[in-house]
Amino acid sequence: MIDERYRDLSVEDLRQRLFEAEETLRAIRDGEADAVVMRGGSDDRVHALGGEDESYRVIMEAMDIGAVALDARNAVVYANSAMCDLLDCSFEQMQQTGLTSCFAPEVAELVQTIIDQHDGQRHTGQFAQAMPMGTRHIIVAVGPLPLAFGTGLVLTFTDVTARLAAERASESARIARAVISSANEAVVVCDVHGKVVNANATAIELTGGDPLHRAFEEAYPLSFSVSSPIIHAEDLVTMAVEGNSIQGLEAKSARGGTCKDLLVSAAPLRLAAHQIGGCVITLVDNTDRKAIENHQSLLLRELDHRVKNTLAMVMSIASRTSASAADLPDFRSRFNSRLQALAATHILLAESEWSGLMLSSVVNRELAPYTTSAGPKLVVEGLDRKVSSDIGIAFALVVHELTTNAVKYGALSQESGVITIAGEDAGNGMVKVRWIESGGPAVEPPTRSGFGQTLISRSLSRGNGGGATVDFAPSGLVCEMRLPLR
Amino acid sequence: MQDNASNDTPMHSMVELTLYVAGQTPKSVAAIRNLERICADRLDGAYQVKVVDLKENPRLAREHNIVAIPTLVRKLPAPIQKIIGDLSDTEKVLVHLRMGVAG
Repeated sequence: MIDERYRDLSVEDLRQRLFEAEETLRAIRDGEADAVVMRGGSDDRVHALGGEDESYRVIMEAMDIGAVALDARNAVVYANSAMCDLLDCSFEQMQQTGLTSCFAPEVAELVQTIIDQHDGQRHTGQFAQAMPMGTRHIIVAVGPLPLAFGTGLVLTFTDVTARLAAERASESARIARAVISSANEAVVVCDVHGKVVNANATAIELTGGDPLHRAFEEAYPLSFSVSSPIIHAEDLVTMAVEGNSIQGLEAKSARGGTCKDLLVSAAPLRLAAHQIGGCVITLVDNTDRKAIENHQSLLLRELDHRVKNTLAMVMSIASRTSASAADLPDFRSRFNSRLQALAATHILLAESEWSGLMLSSVVNRELAPYTTSAGPKLVVEGLDRKVSSDIGIAFALVVHELTTNAVKYGALSQESGVITIAGEDAGNGMVKVRWIESGGPAVEPPTRSGFGQTLISRSLSRGNGGGATVDFAPSGLVCEMRLPLR
Repeated sequence: MQDNASNDTPMHSMVELTLYVAGQTPKSVAAIRNLERICADRLDGAYQVKVVDLKENPRLAREHNIVAIPTLVRKLPAPIQKIIGDLSDTEKVLVHLRMGVAG
């Protein structure tokens, strides 16, 4: 049966038509045509053949970022798998509802604005979209897409969440490095195996070499006290890497003949998702503070010792003074005087922070009130010598008794009086001090030995070669003392 | 595409051509470019060319029963000749254009 359309054609025309049909098929098969006209009842259409359209789809599919192709009317003509995964939306759904319906309203508005503002140039924007897997940060870019019939748009959606996280992590790491490097304390960062991976300048100075890539305990050989929960430096690393924090452990670090007191703290180095990537150890040089603490402890013990000694001395002074006093007013006078001498000596000791006393200071302080330019005279020689606090106090009390005696009966009772106090080296760490009075009234030996004399003869006798002898010579009292130097 | 006419032509008569294309498909663009070159270099001015974009109006394909695009139709001199493709083979195009033409 012959088609109505060909009924009126000649055989030659039919042959020509057949030839044209065969030629058309051949041309399409050989790729010489890239579009065909599809004839409909009343609506003919032109369709592109495989080629450019397929090419961009292949390219888009090969991309690992989301990509959507829109035609000139912004209808979705293609969306790659990455895009469907990113939006959790199928290509068919996108085609049916439109691209922007796949986004939250504010994001849809942004995407639409980017599309509307497109002027043939490449435009980009960034937004955050809540996804089932968490908030994703996405950069959208739009550019022209040459299609077979006109120019469309291609939108790419790049998920930069991981990149932003990496940038933030990188920035955090940079800040951390800056903090570590600017810290005054020595800061050492170790990996989970205890190898030093970072150390600031203070930490490098502490170890005296390059600690990097060395085991912590090797780079920082620390010794802990027996009562410490940590015995070896590697235990410190192990505990920290296991997630424990340790604060303020006292440790000693010996290097090059110098010993440093350190306060050591360690904490786990927590990375993302609470993973422990190593540990951070801080070492604070506590040497100076430790020395101060030791000094304070020494002073405290010294103070305790002094107080006990002083109380014993006060009790002794009270006892001996009461035994030799004529009456209560005499007791009060002598007792007060001796306590004042003791107090003055304590002031001298406090000024020297209990580090000992200069003999000249004791003498000058005791005798200054009694010597003037008019007389009596004081001659001090060879007393720039320092003795211990104990010896200093005993010497001061002896000088006080000698002074009191001189004021009452000796050289200080007359303007013509002279007291010469001379010190000289006695060998074996001893100093000999001679108190010589002259120009005073004739001296008569006392009829009984009072507290003063007892104190003089006993105070300096401490089984260390020290002692004192008093000679009541008529021309003036002579006291010879032997004191151990420090 | 220019229209041109001259009596001084080796084909002895006016060549009237219609090139059917579909928008900016690569072969349509190439066919237009190649036809321009052939006309300028080999037809010595005795030609008249019309370009029909079937993407704009597909029904125009019916006049010459066009199916594949691009297709060049030699309307004159008769008989009608058709060449499918991007016209990149100049000699083949010239053979088709002269086919059936009395020398």
